[in-house]
Amino acid sequence: MESNKKYWKGLEELQQTPAFVEKSKGEFAEPIPVEDVLNEAGLSTRTPRRDFLKALGFGLGAVTLAACERTPVHKAVPYLIKPEEVTPGIPNFYASSFKGQSVLVRTREGRPILLEANPSAVGLNCGTDASAQASVLDLYDTSKLKGPKFKGSDISWDALDTNVVTALDAANAAGKQIRIVSSTLNSPSALAAIARFTEKYPTTRLIEVDAVSYSGIIKANQNSFGKSVVPHYRFDNADIIVSVAADFLGTWLSGEEHTQQYISNRDYKSLQKGKMSRHIQFEGGMSLTGTNADVRVAIKPSEEGPLLIALYNAITGSSLPGALSTNQKAQTALKLVVQELQQARGRAVVVSGSNEVAMQTLTNAINVALQSYGSTIDLDNPSYQYKGDDEAFTTFLAEANRGDIDVAFFLDSNPLYSYPDVTAVKDALGKIKFKLSFADREDETASELDAIAPNHNFLESWGDAHPRGGYYTIVQPTINPVYNTRQAEHSLLLWAGEKTDYYTFVKNYWEQQLLVGSSKTWKDVLQTGFEYKGEQPAATYSFDFASLGAVANAIALHSKALAKDVEVQLYQSIAIKDGKQGNNAYLHELPDPVSKVTWDNYAAINPKFAESLGLGENSLVEVAGENGYKVTLPVLMQPGQAMGTVSIAVGYGRTKVGKAGDNVGKNAYPFAKLANGTLQFNTTAKLAKASGTYELAQTQTHHTIEGRNVIRETTFTKYKENPGHNAGKWTDSHKTYDLWNKYEQPGHKWVMAIDLNACTGCGACIVACNIENNIPVVGRDEVRRRREMHWMRIDRYYAIEQSGTSYTKEDEIRNLDDMENVSVVHQPMMCQHCEHAPCETVCPVLATVHSSEGLNHMAYNRCFGTRYCANNCPYKVRRFNWFNYWNDSRFDNYLNNEFTQLVLNPDVVSRSRGVMEKCSMCIQRIQAGKLKAKMEKRPLKEGDITLACGSACSANAIIFGDANDPNSEVSKALKNERVYYVLEEINVQPGIGYMTKVRNTYEA
Amino acid sequence: MRNISLVFRRIVRPVSVALVLLLVVSSLQAQDAKEGETIFKANCSSCHKVFGKFLGPELAGVNERHDEAWLLKWIHNAPAMIASGDPAALELDAQYPAAAMTAFPQLQEGQIKSILAYIKSEEEKKAAGDAAGGATGSGNGAAAAASGDASNFMIIGLVAVIALAFVVILVLNRVIRTLERVIANSKDLIPEPELTEKEGKDYLGKLKKLAKNKKLVFFAVLMLVVFLGSAGWKTLWNVGVHEGYQPVQPIKFSHQLHAGVNQIECQYCHGGAFKSKNASIPSANVCMNCHKAITASDKYDGELSPEIAKIYRALDYNPETMEYGPNQRPIEWVRIHNLPDFAYFNHSQHVVVAGVECQTCHGPIETMAEVYQYSPLTMKWCVDCHQKTEVNHQGNAYYDQLIAAHEKLKKGEKVTAAMLGGLECGKCHY
Repeated sequence: MESNKKYWKGLEELQQTPAFVEKSKGEFAEPIPVEDVLNEAGLSTRTPRRDFLKALGFGLGAVTLAACERTPVHKAVPYLIKPEEVTPGIPNFYASSFKGQSVLVRTREGRPILLEANPSAVGLNCGTDASAQASVLDLYDTSKLKGPKFKGSDISWDALDTNVVTALDAANAAGKQIRIVSSTLNSPSALAAIARFTEKYPTTRLIEVDAVSYSGIIKANQNSFGKSVVPHYRFDNADIIVSVAADFLGTWLSGEEHTQQYISNRDYKSLQKGKMSRHIQFEGGMSLTGTNADVRVAIKPSEEGPLLIALYNAITGSSLPGALSTNQKAQTALKLVVQELQQARGRAVVVSGSNEVAMQTLTNAINVALQSYGSTIDLDNPSYQYKGDDEAFTTFLAEANRGDIDVAFFLDSNPLYSYPDVTAVKDALGKIKFKLSFADREDETASELDAIAPNHNFLESWGDAHPRGGYYTIVQPTINPVYNTRQAEHSLLLWAGEKTDYYTFVKNYWEQQLLVGSSKTWKDVLQTGFEYKGEQPAATYSFDFASLGAVANAIALHSKALAKDVEVQLYQSIAIKDGKQGNNAYLHELPDPVSKVTWDNYAAINPKFAESLGLGENSLVEVAGENGYKVTLPVLMQPGQAMGTVSIAVGYGRTKVGKAGDNVGKNAYPFAKLANGTLQFNTTAKLAKASGTYELAQTQTHHTIEGRNVIRETTFTKYKENPGHNAGKWTDSHKTYDLWNKYEQPGHKWVMAIDLNACTGCGACIVACNIENNIPVVGRDEVRRRREMHWMRIDRYYAIEQSGTSYTKEDEIRNLDDMENVSVVHQPMMCQHCEHAPCETVCPVLATVHSSEGLNHMAYNRCFGTRYCANNCPYKVRRFNWFNYWNDSRFDNYLNNEFTQLVLNPDVVSRSRGVMEKCSMCIQRIQAGKLKAKMEKRPLKEGDITLACGSACSANAIIFGDANDPNSEVSKALKNERVYYVLEEINVQPGIGYMTKVRNTYEA
Repeated sequence: MRNISLVFRRIVRPVSVALVLLLVVSSLQAQDAKEGETIFKANCSSCHKVFGKFLGPELAGVNERHDEAWLLKWIHNAPAMIASGDPAALELDAQYPAAAMTAFPQLQEGQIKSILAYIKSEEEKKAAGDAAGGATGSGNGAAAAASGDASNFMIIGLVAVIALAFVVILVLNRVIRTLERVIANSKDLIPEPELTEKEGKDYLGKLKKLAKNKKLVFFAVLMLVVFLGSAGWKTLWNVGVHEGYQPVQPIKFSHQLHAGVNQIECQYCHGGAFKSKNASIPSANVCMNCHKAITASDKYDGELSPEIAKIYRALDYNPETMEYGPNQRPIEWVRIHNLPDFAYFNHSQHVVVAGVECQTCHGPIETMAEVYQYSPLTMKWCVDCHQKTEVNHQGNAYYDQLIAAHEKLKKGEKVTAAMLGGLECGKCHY
């Protein structure tokens, strides 16, 4: 091995803290006290014999009694009138969309159980992220309302309608205003329904406002080009990407779409063509995008503006005032970047994550100078995913305060939770006569209003979406409404006196508007799930560079305001995002891609900075915002975090979302502030150490690989010289022996290839795996005990680099000035299906055995829980069921109720307590795919079998297939020079090949 | 004794002659009856049954009710006979107004005679069956299940023989004692009461003596242990095995009638078995495909069959308007074949890919008036079959791809399900 780079999962591993060393000794953090029982004192006391006899007697009696129970009678209840398309046991797929992402909904016997990306929408917007994957659980949420409510009590829909119409008519007669407050509404049919409603009640206006807003971009584009839109970014056209605090692979605008574009220039196929983009990230907190960057430079939020000015000056040769003068590292990086950007005009893009109009205007100027418009930025087919206007909501509040508004409806909007100034909203709402929410639960806002008309879940609804120019998707129901709910658009139509139901309305809208001139029919669209009308050609845009002086001044002011106290960066976490899916247990338990924290938000602080504040692991810190809002948050020592900054995730701390999500973390929205007409998520705060300690449920050092060399990394330059650089083949270096006889593999050999360069670490695969394989949610306490059940995890490894040197020894860490320069590698880790599996040989009951298709089988009914296999697994991928999570009141918030259990996959058994489990390589899907081929009497072909993780991955980082088929994609991928096998040296012959991480860094 | 054997000989001779004659006659008739059965099933069974009314009258006794010439004419062309005003024909037609007798001009005279022979043979069979049935009592499902099992039959037979022998011995003892008393009486000798008392004491003494015989006691205890042990062993092995499980179903649906008599393809109702992992119980609308028309009312004096009425009730079906109502209640069948949750079984793999007959696992389902669990559904049972059964690879291109397996197949070697991984845990447990 050439590299001696040191990788570590967490600071405790790096520093080898006593607690870490103790806990990583055994496979299970809490050993069973066998020694205590069996030691001399335990045996020589008088009680064991008596106790033994008691226990024996009780056991015998209990077993006898249990055996006396008669075999339960199972009922089989067939359909009375079976729908023609349903065959019990065979899934049906319906094309639909989740937030404009075209998906296929897998249903079994009429209940949706999984979302998959729509394969025919490839290249449009079809990926599924963690929240899309988990959204199917929201359908079966027991915290939802069972019917409409009026003034806190249940009411019938008819009575509610009468009340609403009375209020509307009164407002109309008095000439008062009616407002519909909604988060971005890009459904053409819904907008048409609101237009129909406005016909009846002409004072109605739609106010779109998003909890996490992008109105800075919209306004900047209005100022620069006269188009108030969010552009559509094309990272696939970019050879060089500079991101200033934009988490564009994660939560910024359209993460999945960006991931697909981004990866197309970086995955193994692109590398084989000798092509790889370069990505430079400047940011304060460590974001998912930052972890994937080739070069990541930590900057404070207050330095974002000056950095953009410096970038602009360097590219255009102008001299705007206020360019970056601090942060030497950023300046050095900037010089290198500028050189490249200037050579890559038309193939570069600069993005900024700020919501400040001036910053976005300057970013526009830079992109104009780089000729990005028309190639990497598309203004003519803009994105409609976020249209929220922060000023419109301020106007709404002012109008309400004046008493102009009589009726207000809230659609998918929860301002009493997500608006920074909750009191202002409360006061304004108090002056509105009739307020109604379409929320599906009594959330923070709905519970304060007059009435709730619960909306359908998207899986119960008809509808559509228009996520970007020319691209329309369909939303179709896949289940009958579970509760007595009604679709919001349908309610609006009813109140407007429209007789047609919403299905007919949507259908008519499509037939009369969207499908005119197209050869497609409504039925065609229901089958494909989307309608793509092609792209508008790029127009030319002029930019007024002269106006930039004022912009630079605004930026300077903004930056100056931030450069005091501790700078706070509010961000969305990958799992919880803006908090709308706050009651989703799968999302709460998904470890954050960077921090690996579950079930909480926290104050992420650089370890060196924390040290200077007297904070350590498990400390609590009180964060006091500019507006006096204070919360106490647990501290997370985040390597890579800019010194002097703290990052806090919004979306947590909900109080009225439901059993699973109530009071998880703290609400960080109130730290945000409204400035220059947009919501600002960068602010300042004072930090003070709070008393007490709090242990975050963090999975980063669980299942540690004990410092073994499992990551292989190289640079693009080295890769070009030798594609196999640093892949580290061990087989050549020593002779290996087989303890086992070779056995025949007459059929298939299922293997996987994982491209570390494509994996962004987003975690969609983990949630997909959870849902596909009925993996239980265990909750915060059990995660703290290292008992999370996830079959696959994404190991995140840090490595420190400072001025070109890799730091390899523990004691060198102390000499570092800061911990800002860390690079990150994500490695998906699941059962490696070893040919010489160490787990198999130690199982005393042969519960885990090898198959002729190269899989490591796990027979749960045979397992009796010795856990030897987990102890012997070098990859630490086996999970033990400590409880009957499906039938234990301690896990009531998640899946321990009959209704939520409807999300379970009927083809996979739910495991019982005391049983070991692990990745089965979705054997149910393998068997189903094989059966399909057998029934059709044809050879198995590529694509017959997809795995839950692989199909959830937008980046195609997980490639699955038959290694015995030389033409399969996986066979070809595994012939790649970059392929290495983790812990190949111990000759367990794993079935999963990894491809080296390649970074396109600047070579010294 | 001599008397008895004489009487016996006297009886046996004519009976054996009769039996031989019967055999000869019946073997001659058998050929006709067999042909008749085929013709009957092809042409008549859609409206007639031998026993009991169907759409047309019961055919048992038809040979007695009408003379052969009339029957030949009637079956050949009934409408013509009605038109010609034959009184018997008119009467029949009036009795069954719903369905007129169809003409069968294609049937030869010999063929019609065969049908009549078949009906006669069925009558004889039933008569013989009734006689046998009277002796054994009405068999329940479990007994029916056992009847097919040769070894069970042998065991029951042996037990019966032993029991019979025991009874014979007792009876003989009794006879001997009576005879002895008769002899004693004839000699005017009254048996002494002390003697019987003494005999009783002797029995007790004998028992005590036997109890002191250690070998005997050991043997008895050993027998007891063996008996209890084997019984316990068998019971424990069969915990959770519900072979022969025959619960009462909400509707007395007869597979014998539907699959046996009416020869409805399994696939018609259990289409799922050919497509999916579930064989699936048909939905009530599948029943209604036929039972909208077939009400079996002729069996219930013109009333709707109470069992079919249950389907109507479930669907809230109104026979007059022929529409389904809103108050539908699903039919809750009792599941007979219960696999544990941790075992995955897929019908289509077995039925379509392997081409396994339904009867292989479900037994003679077409003869079951009430379905019972035929197979034990134990893992041993699965594994045994997977070890024996050859892969049904003929004409299935999927198996061509399994290169190594394909090589073997080309050489004509036997490839069983087990050799393609059919015994691996993960094939059924995941």
